[in-house]
Amino acid sequence: MGYASTIKVPFGPQHPALKEPEHFLFEVDGDTVVGVTPRIGYVHRGIEKALELSTYGHGIYLAERVCGICTIAHTCCYAQAIEELMGIDVPPRANYIRMIMSELERLHSHSLWVGLVAHEAGFDTLFMYAWRDREAILNLFQELTGGRVLHAINTLGGVRRDISSEMADRIRRTLEHFEGRAREYLRIVRTEPTFLRRTRDVGVLKPADAARLNAVGPTLRASGIKGDVRRDDPYAAYDEMPFNVITSDSCDVFGRTEVRAEEMVESIGIIRHALEHLPEGVFRVRAPRNVPAGECVSRVEAPRGEDMHYARSNGTAKPDRYKIRAPTLANIPALCKMLVGIHVADIPIILAGIDPCFSCMDRMVFIRSGGATGRAR
Amino acid sequence: MVAYEIFQLVVFPGALFVICLAFLYEWVDRKLFARVQGRYGPLYTGPAGILQPVADFLKLISKEDIVPRVCDANLFFAVPVMYAALPLTALFIMPIAAPEALISFEGDLIFILFSFGLMTLLIFLAGWSSMSRFSAIGSVRSALQMLSYEIPLGLVLVCPAIAARSLSVSGIVQWQAAIAMWGAALQPIGLAVVMVCMLAELELVPFDIPEAETEIVAGWRTEFTGRRLALFRMGRDLEMVLVSALVVSLYLGGAQQLWLIPAAAMFVVKTAAVVAAFSFARALFARFRIDQMIAGMWKYMLPIAAAQVVLVQMGLGA
Repeated sequence: MGYASTIKVPFGPQHPALKEPEHFLFEVDGDTVVGVTPRIGYVHRGIEKALELSTYGHGIYLAERVCGICTIAHTCCYAQAIEELMGIDVPPRANYIRMIMSELERLHSHSLWVGLVAHEAGFDTLFMYAWRDREAILNLFQELTGGRVLHAINTLGGVRRDISSEMADRIRRTLEHFEGRAREYLRIVRTEPTFLRRTRDVGVLKPADAARLNAVGPTLRASGIKGDVRRDDPYAAYDEMPFNVITSDSCDVFGRTEVRAEEMVESIGIIRHALEHLPEGVFRVRAPRNVPAGECVSRVEAPRGEDMHYARSNGTAKPDRYKIRAPTLANIPALCKMLVGIHVADIPIILAGIDPCFSCMDRMVFIRSGGATGRAR
Repeated sequence: MVAYEIFQLVVFPGALFVICLAFLYEWVDRKLFARVQGRYGPLYTGPAGILQPVADFLKLISKEDIVPRVCDANLFFAVPVMYAALPLTALFIMPIAAPEALISFEGDLIFILFSFGLMTLLIFLAGWSSMSRFSAIGSVRSALQMLSYEIPLGLVLVCPAIAARSLSVSGIVQWQAAIAMWGAALQPIGLAVVMVCMLAELELVPFDIPEAETEIVAGWRTEFTGRRLALFRMGRDLEMVLVSALVVSLYLGGAQQLWLIPAAAMFVVKTAAVVAAFSFARALFARFRIDQMIAGMWKYMLPIAAAQVVLVQMGLGA
């Protein structure tokens, strides 16, 4: 007689815990997960191919639409890559504005995430609070750029809109309010006993595993490793900013929550410092239409981790090859490591723990049989 | 005289009144829960959205009736009706308009406890009959949960009965009237244990494990739609009335007249306060995991409940 000792539980592509379609097949023994097989690619949109078919000026709008939440990170990354190929220097004021926008984006992304993870833990009150307070940042975006979600502020050669001194004051006022809220979340996630029970020692990722599996962003930093593109490979004006790279040694979902909540406070500090030291001058230089042949890799620290863009140009107005590696993709191997040996009830909160953004990461791989060329799209 | 008795059973304080209370308390719960979270809650149907639960009920009744092909049809059809009927029946034992309930007999407290157990059994059958994996997990969780809270709950509910020397809910209310004191003042530990266990009975946060939305969709209710879901929701609302009526009757003096305020009005005010306490509690916590919940109930609630029994036996709070 032989019954299989494990059962296979599919999770997704449609599931209330997943905001985007992605599939995980869990092998469950009783209430313990013993294996997991991810199946990605449900929301492949052909963005890279579209980028190769459009001109450089057009591409920035496509890069903006890679992700709804990290729009500024992706446009920054795109603009940096293309500007380096073009050989143009971005004016310092534009770099500061890009940085301010990036940090505002981090604030809104992290507060969205705090709400989501609270929702996964059944803590809907914190979810409602976090999303209500996030509105302040979205309204600020609307005033700064005209768009709440897509901002179209970065452009090749700088930014499209300046931050006036009145706007700077308005940002400062909003931040003053938001800082109190961020500290309040930090207090809640550190002290609320039911929330702690659901997050402590859940989804453990040891520092050695985090490094070996190439985790990025808050997931990496929550495992106690100081990895942050803003510090390791400064872009925009981050080398002039005083800020701490937040890490946590708890290596679990609690650590990821704590890191993000503290990063919100750090981001507020960066924005304040940047507004204080905003250089005078132009905020945009003219970008040429054609790009000399060459290739370039550009990295930024998106709210979810390191975002990497690769561009290869052939001297025409369109890129020869464009590759985007969104942070979620880098975190998938680490996620699969975290998901083994846990309770079934902890699956949603661990999945949410890496702040997944599946539609940003889905790429296609063509593997030609017989040939050695694997071409990733 | 017969006509008056029929009126009592069907209209006031019988079925119709209780169903209205059920809808009212769903509104109280939703509104307060929303306000705690910084939302508005129901707003448009009736003054301040008070008719929203009725509108939801009517809408669900008129929806398409979907029956999964593989379900156990007999159970699938019967369980929602029984789930709504059971708390309605049990509510006849609760003193609502006077310290004496419509139906009262020595030992009806045990019937109430039994009906709580039966509710969970119905939930288990509901999940089991729908043959969906989410429902199956939800129903197993619900049964597991009952194994943990049922015992402290049963232990603690006996304490007012010991003190009143009556196993009837009406008898306990009359005992509180006679000594002019609330059970809560005599047995505060018991009240606390009952409130915690009732959160689990009603499957509210932090014990909404059987219907954990982000884990198992809607748990044991996943496959139910339309009029069956409407019946389940009404059953849940009626259970809320039953639970708050029980807490009020055993610990908060029950339906007693206060100067000129009639007993029924006092009952409504007190039960609404209990419902408010539940909805406030469910806004404050995250959801426990099933193993944490069971361990917590056995480790903490059971000894506390036993301590309450010992205290009552020693003559304290009796």
